[in-house]
Amino acid sequence: MMQEENDTLRKRVNAAWPATREPAFDDVWEAAGERYTAARRNGRRIAGVAAAAAIIAIAMFGNAPMDESWVEVADLMESTYWTAPSDVLLPERQFDIYQDMPELFESTEPAGGTLL
Amino acid sequence: MRDSDALDNNPHVSRSALEAIHNQVYGWALSRCDFEHAAAEDLMQQAYVELLSGKARFDNKSSLKTFVFSVVQNLARSRFRRLSSRLRLVKQFQAEPTAAVVETAEPGSNDGVWRAVRALPARQRDIIELVFCRDLTVEEAAAVMGVATGTGRVHYDRAKKALRERLKHLVDEE
Repeated sequence: MMQEENDTLRKRVNAAWPATREPAFDDVWEAAGERYTAARRNGRRIAGVAAAAAIIAIAMFGNAPMDESWVEVADLMESTYWTAPSDVLLPERQFDIYQDMPELFESTEPAGGTLL
Repeated sequence: MRDSDALDNNPHVSRSALEAIHNQVYGWALSRCDFEHAAAEDLMQQAYVELLSGKARFDNKSSLKTFVFSVVQNLARSRFRRLSSRLRLVKQFQAEPTAAVVETAEPGSNDGVWRAVRALPARQRDIIELVFCRDLTVEEAAAVMGVATGTGRVHYDRAKKALRERLKHLVDEE
């Protein structure tokens, strides 16, 4: 019953729906193909122009002198002094240190209940 | 599987498959453009460009027909959005509204059934067209419209109910 009603409704709507006179598929397809090709060509052209602009920009501004705001190392060396920690281990120093080995004596002076 | 005339950027779509559904898709495009043939043809071309370029890529998750219908629907929506924003701009700068008569290229008859269909809300009209005239299932029609299947069913049932009511009145008037 319900299905029958549906079918009737479908038929009536279908009959009332405006008939379409569709354009030939080949025509629409061909036009779409042309649009696609033109879009690709334009895309390539835009990419080419962008690349050329980038190359020109690099050529013009790529070798420009940079702002000299950095600190010269030579200037820095004059105002600072730095010694590597390993310097204390150099042979002469080592020699100096070990030549005058302090003598350690046992202390007999009490200090705070213990011997120094 | 790849057809011999499959598209380069859309391996699951073939020219012959598109040709087979061309008239159905055109009918759908036509109703998207308020039955203006030139606009519908342009929309069709645009849809085919999307398929050719692979921007709209079919991956066999649905039927090709549902997919192409969805492409047309989305393109029509974005076109409508563009047009309405332009129209807003025109209205903003228009000195006086012109009383031009808009000629509709609608070839439909003045039949009561057609008037009843036209009087339906847009979504109900769409689902009736997709199911009754384009032979899609309610699920496929809902997918094309971008709504959940349940929502599609609700629109479909309401549309049928409203149509029956209006057609009953029509019979009574006759």
